[in-house]
Amino acid sequence: VKRNALVFVALFVAILAMLASGKYLDRTRKHGPLRLVGNVQGLQAPDFQLPSLDGSKVKLSDFRGKAVLLNFWATWCPPCKVEMPWFADLQRQYGKDGLVILGVAMDDSKPDSIQQFASEMGVNYQILLGTDKVSDDYGDVDSLPTTFYIGRDGTIVDKMVGLLDRKDIEDAVKKTLNTTNRSIASPQQSQAAAEVKSPVKDAAQ
Amino acid sequence: MRKNFAFVLIGLLLAGLALAQSPGNNVPSVIMAPIGKVQVRAGASTDVSLDFRIGSEFHINSHTPKSELLIPTVLKLQAPDQVTVADVKYPAGQDVSFPFSPDEKLSVYSGDFSIDTVLKAPANAAAGTYPVKGELRFQACDHSACYPPKSIPVQFQVSVGKK
Repeated sequence: VKRNALVFVALFVAILAMLASGKYLDRTRKHGPLRLVGNVQGLQAPDFQLPSLDGSKVKLSDFRGKAVLLNFWATWCPPCKVEMPWFADLQRQYGKDGLVILGVAMDDSKPDSIQQFASEMGVNYQILLGTDKVSDDYGDVDSLPTTFYIGRDGTIVDKMVGLLDRKDIEDAVKKTLNTTNRSIASPQQSQAAAEVKSPVKDAAQ
Repeated sequence: MRKNFAFVLIGLLLAGLALAQSPGNNVPSVIMAPIGKVQVRAGASTDVSLDFRIGSEFHINSHTPKSELLIPTVLKLQAPDQVTVADVKYPAGQDVSFPFSPDEKLSVYSGDFSIDTVLKAPANAAAGTYPVKGELRFQACDHSACYPPKSIPVQFQVSVGKK
């Protein structure tokens, strides 16, 4: 009985491993290594260029140095509607601190309908027209709303799937605003970082 | 004892397979119950009820959601020349409010629901067995998120008998 049990367990683990590796290989083959899979915190947010409702092209990397809240939503998604006025408030409150909110509409509706819906929701941030490619790059965004919090250096600070409390969203915004852009740190930021580090250095000496 | 152990292991294996198929994702499911033999005489009609089951955590919009922006559940059937789809009757949706929007009621289906159809065979229909194919299009949500519209195939056989 013990031998059979071991065989069953080994078979179980082997099948799981095969399925997991097959799925991973399939994804990386299809989409390349930049596609987000699994825990995304700390990973570089895939860059994209999408049309906005005003006709301009918006590139994520243009916002390097800002804290970006990237919200995937759709007009047919009632939970997404709940968040939109919150996002508008947060944009008003934290825009001066460097918060940029981008709403990516995963809709088949015409841009005019999306615009009308966004206006009714009081949206004061840019709405972009999403594509399957962007959805794939961000790990098959098939649950809406899904929101990525992208730090000033372009790495993902947090990902939230589904509707959460406003407080959770605001906490994630604050956390994202607290990031620094390491690649283009200003002299003031470098000085501040040095000042924070120096007491530790002093203590070690 | 040995038999019970095997059942437990098979159960674990199936659970593992299910987890491996959907890592971290809830996948909304709607399945159609198998349909028994559908028979209709040439020149007559017959009622066919199509039964569907929605995954326990999910709901889908009814055929008549309360907003134009919401995506309705729609059954599309393509019948062969010997059979026509004379009518499709959708059930009324349940008016439900959800935690994400407690002040708003949505018209939805959840659990089991049936769509009643009427199939008709013209008087000159040739006797035989014919496939009826189609799809059910729906858009599902759970208590905090929604999922893109999806279609599942609908297929059954109709036997047309002589008048």
